[in-house]
Amino acid sequence: MDLSRREFTKFGCRIIIGAAAGATIVESIATLGVAQEESSNKEYDWNEHLWGYVVDTRKCIGCGRCANACKLENEVPFDEPVYRTWIERYRIVREGTEESVKIDSPDGGIKGFAEDIPAEEIKKAFYVPKICNHCDNPPCVQVCPVGATYKTEDGVILVDYNYCIGCRYCIQGCPYGARYFNNEKRTADKCTWCYHRITKGLLPACVQACPVGARKFGDLKDPESEINKILDKERINVLKADLGTKPKVYYVGLDREVR
Amino acid sequence: MQPHLKRAFIILVLVIIGFLFVRSFIVPESFGQYGWYRGDSVAELRDIPVGYAGSASCSGINNECHKTTYSIWVDSRHKTVNCETCHGPSEKHVIDTRVMPEPANDTREFCGLCHFKRAARPADFPQIDPETHGENLKCAYCHNPHKPWFL
Ligand code: HEC
Ligand code: HEC
Ligand code: HEC
Repeated sequence: MDLSRREFTKFGCRIIIGAAAGATIVESIATLGVAQEESSNKEYDWNEHLWGYVVDTRKCIGCGRCANACKLENEVPFDEPVYRTWIERYRIVREGTEESVKIDSPDGGIKGFAEDIPAEEIKKAFYVPKICNHCDNPPCVQVCPVGATYKTEDGVILVDYNYCIGCRYCIQGCPYGARYFNNEKRTADKCTWCYHRITKGLLPACVQACPVGARKFGDLKDPESEINKILDKERINVLKADLGTKPKVYYVGLDREVR
Repeated sequence: MQPHLKRAFIILVLVIIGFLFVRSFIVPESFGQYGWYRGDSVAELRDIPVGYAGSASCSGINNECHKTTYSIWVDSRHKTVNCETCHGPSEKHVIDTRVMPEPANDTREFCGLCHFKRAARPADFPQIDPETHGENLKCAYCHNPHKPWFL
């Protein structure tokens, strides 16, 4: 057998590509079997749901019980300034003829908001609860180098704590600042919409804790769900719509100052 | 075949086998099961235990444990305030009643998280001036936390 260098390279490349393709096919056939096996013995079917979230900023009283419940339910460190959900206070303050916007969120709102500006200087004030938007087009998932964060079939963005290498790209990548670094787990961490609760038919802890119904959670695939009724009736906005991230947290009564 | 080509082929094949061998150890079994992530992690996140049981676990549907408290609460102005918002997460207590939940916070500041006068609150939400209202007594001295108009 007489081979030129070109023929050798060609042949070699074919073998590599062929072997890789073969391995991938064999592997995908093997895992296909597993996927069917596993999902058939679970009562929760994620193909039947697409979760969504509505925040009515007109109702929020800024009590911070949502952020508190979230930390307790999800074991988010209490002594660190990290939050899966938090409340921001926006105050539009008159200073002579000038107007300025003051935004603060002391302790994420968990300990309430002290009044530190005289009432007569405040033109307008309101609270805005913030949470992971569980984008349909999530930038954080795109930047993960190891596949440790992902979008589930029911539309929730999760972090695989056993696979995350803690590189913090996703924390940088989130335009909403919804991710944080968990110093106890040494991984990135974020809101899961309480995935352990919603897959058992319960509400996320923050929604259950809200005393005024400013936070609503439900299934976008169910036409009868409460949030679909709100989306049909109210004027809806999302945060930073121009980024094209397609958030699934919808805001009612959002002021133009909110970013 | 020329011997130097033969050697090259053998090395190539060994490298491929070695790559696949090492890869099979490094990549977790369930990786790629649903997408470019570890499929098992979905079940792991689903199996995290629940902390908040929900007001319906205190009485009503499943049991009659806190029948009196529950029945005055359900038709009070506080019916939208969950038991566990004041009493803390109590799933462990629901499963085993010997595990008592933390005592409810009965300070003025706690009620004040919702009721102290704040400029950013919706004006129609009932708010009080902490300086003048209730003569610095605990709120429960006059209001029942389970039914605030039960003076
Ligand atoms: C607004 C906050 C609040 C809510 C909501 C609330 N509680 Fe309470 N609860 C308290 C406070 C404060 C006390 C202790 C003060 C007192 O004895 O009046 C208390 C006392 C109790 C006690 C008596 C504890 C003891 O040591 O005697 C029980 C039982 C109880 N709550 C059950 C419930 C249940 C069940 C619900 C939901 C249906 C509920 N509570 C909702 C604030 C609340
Ligand atoms: C988590 C928030 C929250 C906490 C904590 C809370 N409340 Fe309330 N309270 C509410 C809500 C919501 C209402 C219903 C307001 C409405 O119907 O518009 C309410 C209503 C009331 C009312 C009736 C007001 C009216 O105009 O009829 C009183 C009185 C009251 N609460 C007292 C208390 C006392 C006393 C405590 C502390 C034991 C307390 N609240 C703790 C949320 C809270
Ligand atoms: C000395 C008894 C007493 C104490 C203590 C007391 N209240 Fe009241 N509260 C009343 C009475 C009486 C009213 C009804 C008359 C009024 O509006 O002032 C009332 C009314 C309210 C209202 C309804 C106000 C409105 O405009 O609808 C709220 C909310 C309230 N109280 C919350 C609290 C909170 C929170 C505390 C603890 C920080 C507290 N109260 C402590 C006696 C008391």
